[in-house]
Amino acid sequence: MKTNESLFHYVARLALTLLAITSVVAAILAGVNSVTAPRIASLKEQKLQNAIEAVLPGGGQEVSFTDETGMVTKVYKGDAGYAIQVAPSGFGGTVTMMVGVDTEGKLLGVQVVSHSETAGLGAVAADTTDAGNAFRSQFVGMSGSVSVTKDGGQVEAITGATITSRAVCAGINAALQCAESMG
Amino acid sequence: MDFKKQFSEGLLTKNPVTVQLLGMCSTLAITTSLFNGIGMGLAVTIILICSNVLISALRKVIPNQIRIAAYITIIAGFVTVVDLALQAFIPALSTSLGVFIPLIVVNCIVLGRAESFASKNGVLASAVDGICQGIGYTVALIITCVVRELLGSGTFGGGLLNGGNGITIIPSPFPAMQMVMPVGGFLVLGFVIAGSQKLMKVLEMKNKKKEAAK
Repeated sequence: MKTNESLFHYVARLALTLLAITSVVAAILAGVNSVTAPRIASLKEQKLQNAIEAVLPGGGQEVSFTDETGMVTKVYKGDAGYAIQVAPSGFGGTVTMMVGVDTEGKLLGVQVVSHSETAGLGAVAADTTDAGNAFRSQFVGMSGSVSVTKDGGQVEAITGATITSRAVCAGINAALQCAESMG
Repeated sequence: MDFKKQFSEGLLTKNPVTVQLLGMCSTLAITTSLFNGIGMGLAVTIILICSNVLISALRKVIPNQIRIAAYITIIAGFVTVVDLALQAFIPALSTSLGVFIPLIVVNCIVLGRAESFASKNGVLASAVDGICQGIGYTVALIITCVVRELLGSGTFGGGLLNGGNGITIIPSPFPAMQMVMPVGGFLVLGFVIAGSQKLMKVLEMKNKKKEAAK
C-alpha cells in the first residue's frame, strides 16, 4: 500500500490492473479464436472424412442409430458396410476412433481420430509408425468381440499401454454390437 | 548484460532441470523418444522467450501483490494463442505436439523465470534469459530422452528418423521396457543430475588450478 493511499483506492488499484490485464488477454484470445475457429473446424471435418474413407472404402452417409453401450457417437452407412465413430475412455481421456465394419460383421479397419494418451506409450495407437500400424491392422477381419491377450483375448496390446489397448477394444466391441443391431 | 555468463548458467550451473529442478513433471513424462524431447524443448523455449519479453516490458506496470495472477494470465494467453495458431495453420505439427502445448502453462520453468528474472531485468536481457534457459531445458530433455529411448526401446531418434520408427540399435528382446515407464524416468533423471554435478565439480577444479597457477 502506498503511504497516502486509502484502503479503497489500494484494493481498487489492484483489482482494476488485474481486470485490465485479463480483459486485454481475453480480447486477444477472442480475436485469435474468431480467425482460427473456422479453419480448425474445417480441418477437423476433413480429418473425419479421411478416417471414414480409410475404414470404409467408398465412404458413407450419416444415419441414425441405436446404441446400448453409450460409446457410439456417429454412424455412417456405405455400400461396403458401416463406419462407426466410438468414444471409449482411455488412459488420458476420451479416445475418438472410427471403426469400419462390413455387412457380415467383420472389421474393415480402425482409425484413431483424436486422443490424449501418453506420447510414446498409449499414443502409439494413433501413430503411423510400424508399431502403430501393426496394432491397428491386427483388427482387420476380426468379428464378434475382441479383447487383449491379458484378458484372454486375441489382440496384442501396445507394450506399456494396456489401458489404451483395452479402450480401443471396448470401442471396437461397441461398434461391432452397434453394426450387428443394425444388420 | 553478460551473454556468456547467462548461457553457461542456463546450460549448466543454473540449468532449469538439473540444478533448479523445475519442470519435473514434463521432464519425467515426455522423455521417451528423441522427437518428444526436441518438440517439448522448442515449444517451451518459444513460450519462455515470449512471456519473458512481455512480462519484462510490463514489470513496472504490474503491482507486486497481484504479479503471480498477472503472469499466469499472460503465460496462459500466449500458450493458447500458440496452440490455436498451430491447430489452424500447421495441423501436422499440432498433432505431434498437441499433448505438450497445454502442459506448458503449468511448466514452472516459465513462471519461475518470469518471477526470478524477467520481473527484475530489462527486455533484451529477459529475451536472452529465455533463450538460454530454454536451451538448457532442451539439452537436459534430449540427454534424458536419448538414454531412456536407447535402454527402453533400443532405438535412437524415435518419432523423427527412419519414418518415425527410429534406428534400432538394441534388437527386440533386450531393451528394458521399464526405462520408458515412469520408474525409468526417475532413474535416468537421477543419473543425468549426478552427471551434471560431476561436470560442474570438474570444471570448478580446473578453474581453481588455473587461478593457483597464476
